[in-house]
Amino acid sequence: MSTQLSRKARLALPLVVWVFVILAVAPAFALEANEYRQFLGLDSRKVIWFLAQMHLFFAAFVLGVPLFAVIIEIVGWRNGEERFDKLAYEFTSLLSVAYATTAAFGGLLAFALFTLYPTFMGYMAGIFKDVMFFYALLFFGETFLLYLYYYGWNWLSSSKPFGLATRRVFQGLGAVVVLIGLAFLFGLIGPEMRGDTRVFIAVLYILPLGAGLLVIRDLKSSHIMIGILLNIVGTAIMQLANSWAGFMMSPAGVDAEGVMTGSLWQAFENILATPIAVHRMLGNLAFGGLVAGSYAAVRFIGAKTQEEKAHYDWMGYIANFVAICALIPLPFAGYYLGREVYSTSAIMGNNMMGGDFSWTFIIQAMLVGSLFLISNYYLWSGMTRIPGSERYYKFIKFILAAIVISFAVWLTPHNLPLTGSEVGAMGGTQYHPTLKFLGLMPAKNAVINLIILSTFFSFLLYRRGNKKDAVSIKAQGNLPRIVISLAGLAAIAIVGQYAASLLTMDPATLDLPADRAQYFHTVGYLLVFNCAVALVAVALALTDRGKLAQGLYLAVTAFNVAIFLGVYGFVVMERASPFLRNVAVAQFLQLIACLILVTAIDMFLFKGAKEIGALKWGKMTVRSQYALLALTFIITMNMGLMGFIRSGLRGDWHIYGVMRDTSEWAFTPSNYTMTQMVGLSVFVFMVGVAFMFWLGSIASQKSEKGGAG
Amino acid sequence: MSGSVVRAGVFLLVLLGAFLWIGRSITNLTGGEKKAATAFEIGPEGGEAIYWGKGRCFTCHSVGDRGSAVRGPNHGQAGERFPLPMGTRAVERAKERSKKTGKEFTAVDYLIESMSDPGAYVVEGYKNEMAVVYAPPISLNLDEIKAVVTYLQIQGGELDMEAIEAKPSDVTKEFYAKIGAAQAAGGGDPGLGEEVFADNCSDCHMLNGEGGEVGPDLTGIAAKGLKYIDESIRSPASKIVKGFEVFEVVKKDGRKITGTKTRDEAGEIDITKADGDVVTIPRDELKTITEDKTKTLMPADLIEALTVKDFQDVLSFLILQKQKVAEK
Repeated sequence: MSTQLSRKARLALPLVVWVFVILAVAPAFALEANEYRQFLGLDSRKVIWFLAQMHLFFAAFVLGVPLFAVIIEIVGWRNGEERFDKLAYEFTSLLSVAYATTAAFGGLLAFALFTLYPTFMGYMAGIFKDVMFFYALLFFGETFLLYLYYYGWNWLSSSKPFGLATRRVFQGLGAVVVLIGLAFLFGLIGPEMRGDTRVFIAVLYILPLGAGLLVIRDLKSSHIMIGILLNIVGTAIMQLANSWAGFMMSPAGVDAEGVMTGSLWQAFENILATPIAVHRMLGNLAFGGLVAGSYAAVRFIGAKTQEEKAHYDWMGYIANFVAICALIPLPFAGYYLGREVYSTSAIMGNNMMGGDFSWTFIIQAMLVGSLFLISNYYLWSGMTRIPGSERYYKFIKFILAAIVISFAVWLTPHNLPLTGSEVGAMGGTQYHPTLKFLGLMPAKNAVINLIILSTFFSFLLYRRGNKKDAVSIKAQGNLPRIVISLAGLAAIAIVGQYAASLLTMDPATLDLPADRAQYFHTVGYLLVFNCAVALVAVALALTDRGKLAQGLYLAVTAFNVAIFLGVYGFVVMERASPFLRNVAVAQFLQLIACLILVTAIDMFLFKGAKEIGALKWGKMTVRSQYALLALTFIITMNMGLMGFIRSGLRGDWHIYGVMRDTSEWAFTPSNYTMTQMVGLSVFVFMVGVAFMFWLGSIASQKSEKGGAG
Repeated sequence: MSGSVVRAGVFLLVLLGAFLWIGRSITNLTGGEKKAATAFEIGPEGGEAIYWGKGRCFTCHSVGDRGSAVRGPNHGQAGERFPLPMGTRAVERAKERSKKTGKEFTAVDYLIESMSDPGAYVVEGYKNEMAVVYAPPISLNLDEIKAVVTYLQIQGGELDMEAIEAKPSDVTKEFYAKIGAAQAAGGGDPGLGEEVFADNCSDCHMLNGEGGEVGPDLTGIAAKGLKYIDESIRSPASKIVKGFEVFEVVKKDGRKITGTKTRDEAGEIDITKADGDVVTIPRDELKTITEDKTKTLMPADLIEALTVKDFQDVLSFLILQKQKVAEK
């Protein structure tokens, strides 16, 4: 008990510090001369960079793990499989020390910011004072819920149902909250809010809360509800902090002198706040999965028994699966964020893709491409543990070729770093006659879609590895009919609504002449074709031709997004350039629709199918575990790199267009400095993680030795 | 477990080593480390520091072998496309500019125009996409722009400090005035400001013969000064123009109508509502008509709906309206 209390006291300290610092700091104004201080003569910007990065790494892990721990717990609870429950508990156990470290770094960062950048932080605290207090309060909520979730696991494990009246109360409350969430989602409540902020709040706060209340029927489901609340509070903490980062890039609610002219809400829901939050949310999920996966990999490599190997192999597989699920939509969240950056300021956008950060994006492309390639490699390695999967080995070389070629296209820069004489030899241009096309957005959009489709295809092969043959969907009753039809409807709705908007879009809305509508129509009709194919795929699946349905829809989607729109994108770029972003949306929506429908069909296609043999967990190469580790290291580097770009886009402004950075560090650091700072942060973080895992392992050894008591 | 941790650590160090190597190679390839802008004088040295630093010219331009950007024209000598460096090229471009406009352009006039109004004479094969260098985030001041001009002039040409500093031509003076006015308005981008105006203001306000009539005509509004325009947007009721006072009319049947009184005759009055609709009210239907000095038809929350950037842009656009009228 005393240990727990002292741990809570340690956690509370940085929060008390945070509140105290907000109260103590004098309000500042944007036009005041900025004051900068140093600590031990160190470069203040680098000090803040390092501390912020460490805080973000630990916070991403702490926020990411509960997201999938709760989902795994729900899977275990619904299917009655205790091993999933144990796995969820094991994932959660990794959080305990990480949470304290996150809070400690948060306190240190707050101290550093307020002492080294007093004018800037004075101004930010003046604008966001109320939000900062709320942030600190949410931290208390997070602390309480996390410890209740972790330490209450066994206490709240009973499946003995509550009384009928109690269940009805929860169900009633849940129904009301879900209705409020839906009203909020569709703008019946809060129509004046930005659409993205409203959707974020409805989908990630209100609807999960309602769903959690609806399922409460016993102590175990109450524990799940605590997990949902933990995620809601964690996401809210992240969203509040993101609003400050977004405000620094796209200030709102203040005038050019920084004087508040609007409301705190406007400052809070600035243009970039939600796009950053969405991107971080998915990033945290992928990151949390992979860090947990690296824990499993290290334990696998050091495992002494086959039983241990089997357990950590399975744990690593689940963690990697979670990461892939988050990685697939992540490039699109990045695209959405990038688009909003351009909307905020074209100069900021140009600086991002073609200025200071163009080469940083090349490094980022290497890292993201590696993530997909290595994830696939891990899946292919995993097929060695599946009896019968040899039948699918023949496809791997084609998937590998598709990914490698796509990766190469993605890496190709638009202009090449050439010497003056080389430029002269090319007639004064740095564009290679052929390769220059691969450096443009249509090519990039096509290949990222192809990489994602290829990864998805690998996953489909993995899933059916040990299944003898597909089973009859028709014979499975109404459930597959309902689920596959709903998935088909969802796919058609997703693609169809965009087709309708393209077919009726006025070119003037994109500052284009009327005759450019033909380009909108071509893409619109392509989407209509996609809807028709989705319909056919549903019909085929429900008449026991599921494999054909999957193949047809996958092939049409691959053709549409990677080949047709890949090539047509160049035509659009030449004749109706502003429409190119709509082409990218058309590609993304078809891809998402394909993933939904093909997955829905796959759920029933092999349900209860005869197995060639049982999965041999633990029968994995050590090399595959290094692949898991590489994924963790690479995603951590990538997070650091993306943070550098996001923050650096402001150039020499603390708050873009409002408060200038007048310090001696008001310049964009080079990529070498970035790799040094990010490398240092990654190294220290990994050492910290290793230490945490070691602490976790000795604690578990102790409890195992101590037995149940 | 400790052995596996050590192996994982070694693996991490290898990956980090590769990461550092890539960062170092790319930095060497792209011109090395940059430094923060320091105090400078108007001259080629200061201009070079701005060009390769704070001004971010290198984002789109190169100078001969230096730099790798190609979005904008190379400012040095580069292949067949740019046989002349910028200093001598500016002399040729100025001649072409004189022919096109009928005004006498010098090399300095041309270079100042390229930065003040980059869309005026775009180099063939390039898009009109240059950033406004005196607006955020670049926000160069006039002296910094002059310094960049000196740097561009010495690229194969002759420095003409007199035309830049001591005795600028009328053409150059006009551009200096434009830059100065935009900077006084918070450094907005007048081009984008025109779009903001079209989206938010032109339905109600006339400008140079185009727009609505619900609010005052803003043609030549710059004559009123920056402070006046600024306050009129932030707090419309503090600067009500005569003839645009808001009246609240209560009819005998109890209905209320709010708007400006646009016609007042013996038998009837016209009230123009915020949406532009004109309501004619016979005097015998009038119960009361009261002027509300706390209101205008302009949305009081307009400033809340504009972003900082929109506000700066529209302000810089409006502060230039005096000059457009004078030109006409």
